[in-house]
Amino acid sequence: MSAMRLPSGVYHETYAQDHAWWQTRFVWVRMITLFVLLFVIVPQFAGGYGLSVANRIGYTILGALGVQLLIGFAGQVTLGHMAFVAIGSYTSALFTLRINEAFPVLGQMGVTYPLSMIVAMFAAGLWCVLFGLPSARVKGFYLIMTTMAAQFITVDFVITHYISQIGGREISFSLPPGTIKFGPWAIRTDLEAYYLMLILVIACIIFIGNLMRTRIGRAWIAIRDNDIAADVLGVNVVRYKLLAFFVAGALAGIAGSYWNSTLFAVSPEHFSFSESLWLVGVVLIGGIGSNYGTIFGAMYLTLIAELIQPVLQFILPDLALKTAYIRDMVFGLSIIVFLLLEPKGLAYRWQRIKDYIHLWPFSY
Amino acid sequence: MDVFLQLIITGIMVGSIYALVALGWTLIYKSSGVLNLAMGELTLTGAYVSLTFYEWGIPFPLALLLTLVIGLILGLIVERVFLRPLIGESVLTVIMVTVGLSFFMRGLLGFIFGTDTMVFSPPVFPSEPVRFGNIVLGQVYIWSFIAALVLLVVFVAFFKYTRWGLAMQATADDEMAALSIGISAKFVYALAWAIAFMAAGVGGALLGNINGVNVSVGYLGLLVLPAVVMGGLNSVPGAIVGGLIVGLLQNLAGGYLENLTLAGVTLIPGGAKDVFPYVVMTIALLVKPYGLFGWARIERV
Repeated sequence: MSAMRLPSGVYHETYAQDHAWWQTRFVWVRMITLFVLLFVIVPQFAGGYGLSVANRIGYTILGALGVQLLIGFAGQVTLGHMAFVAIGSYTSALFTLRINEAFPVLGQMGVTYPLSMIVAMFAAGLWCVLFGLPSARVKGFYLIMTTMAAQFITVDFVITHYISQIGGREISFSLPPGTIKFGPWAIRTDLEAYYLMLILVIACIIFIGNLMRTRIGRAWIAIRDNDIAADVLGVNVVRYKLLAFFVAGALAGIAGSYWNSTLFAVSPEHFSFSESLWLVGVVLIGGIGSNYGTIFGAMYLTLIAELIQPVLQFILPDLALKTAYIRDMVFGLSIIVFLLLEPKGLAYRWQRIKDYIHLWPFSY
Repeated sequence: MDVFLQLIITGIMVGSIYALVALGWTLIYKSSGVLNLAMGELTLTGAYVSLTFYEWGIPFPLALLLTLVIGLILGLIVERVFLRPLIGESVLTVIMVTVGLSFFMRGLLGFIFGTDTMVFSPPVFPSEPVRFGNIVLGQVYIWSFIAALVLLVVFVAFFKYTRWGLAMQATADDEMAALSIGISAKFVYALAWAIAFMAAGVGGALLGNINGVNVSVGYLGLLVLPAVVMGGLNSVPGAIVGGLIVGLLQNLAGGYLENLTLAGVTLIPGGAKDVFPYVVMTIALLVKPYGLFGWARIERV
């Protein structure tokens, strides 16, 4: 939580008030409305397609949270985050399938999938630390290159050529319906995946938001702003950098294992280099260093990508076959335009709108 | 032994194309500090442009020349529109603009040319191989090697002996000092992008002759990144050596590591060729963070 700007006339008298997540009655009303909207109204009125788009947005948020943590909060870079999402996804899928085979009881009780999520968190986190290790010695462009290497080594090599061969199922692992069970609830439809997504996204955002208010978060911000100065102040730079990579990888693990619940089969092409760059684009368009930024960026890019097809169908039906290329072009142009014209991202716009409302009608 | 020699020579020949593209990359970085991730798409653009000219019936050398001209124009436009407003922004911002550029260009090229592999037909170079003793080489490789070598010499000579080349070197060394003696930084940046587009374009045309033109030429162009990182970002000889190293690593990995079996167990089923340069690069970064010829940068608070 960055410094919150309060509307005029609101004063805090205790630290508890100062630290509160939701500080004014208006924010309480707004957030509760939002939750009601998300949990009750959206599932009522969004059809199957709407829910699948919502799930994609949630997945993008989960994946981009890790990127946001590394780029926006800890000042590191990652251009290969899909590698860690892939590790999460594959770990979770393999773990679930194998344990269900070995101990069918656990599968019926619905313990395996939640358990696999935790295993996936650790696997992806540790894998991420492995590629974060060079950050102890290099930064800037060189670090970008090692994270890119992570993408190619993990997805194009290890997963395609080794992990996919396990069990002789060729390229993908199929997840029969009913495999993914969360306690007594089997996650089969988009609606069930939607609720799981909401819970995971909210939990992760609360986790990150609170983490940033602790010693760890402050250390990360110090490293981001000036790592040498942070070192002088007594922050163990290498340790905190690696911790940042671990947490970012763990978030990617959650994203990956969540995405399994919406898939029928896991395969390497879900985790391509373009998808990794897409996540960085989400963070940059949304705004660096803000959780709102992650959410806005994910919504913006996913909705744009989903809207291109129907809009094209409507305006220029001849071009509808080439949607994929147009999507690439729009994504590229979006990034360029945002970086040139609004480098602080959508979150900054949002902040400006809030300021305007707070100060209205005397905005000077 | 013959296999080894064969792999080495093929590696050097493909590596010379990478060296050419890497040279363009380094020029941009040296003169303007821009880390360009769109290099793969620049290569791809060159491949498609030269292919289009060739299909119009223009002889290949002339098509190559026209590719250079188109590269020059595109380079100037891209620099003016996208990169100049970003002078002085952070590394990540500039990199992501080049990423945006790469997506845009890939989308545009896909939109125009589709995804099918296109080949130069009729083939530019005769397909029967040349034999040196036991070593067999495709003529494509030899001609590509010669073309890349010629262009490398031209670019290096340009950089070392002409007025503009010296201006670029001066800007790379110390921008302030260069500005104060009347060198236009804007001109130098524009020139660097133009040269990068030209080098990548020719590289793409040559790679397209070897494998046919599709999106994968762009991924090959991306291999310049390990090349420049291993060579040291701001060193022209480093870029050339790095390009050769990547070519060698690729071929040796393809020849020896793929389908490697030990005691009946397949250790590496495949795909080593494309990944090996990145693996070596990651390890090399841990040992020598500034590459073979790069300058170590001292940072203070």
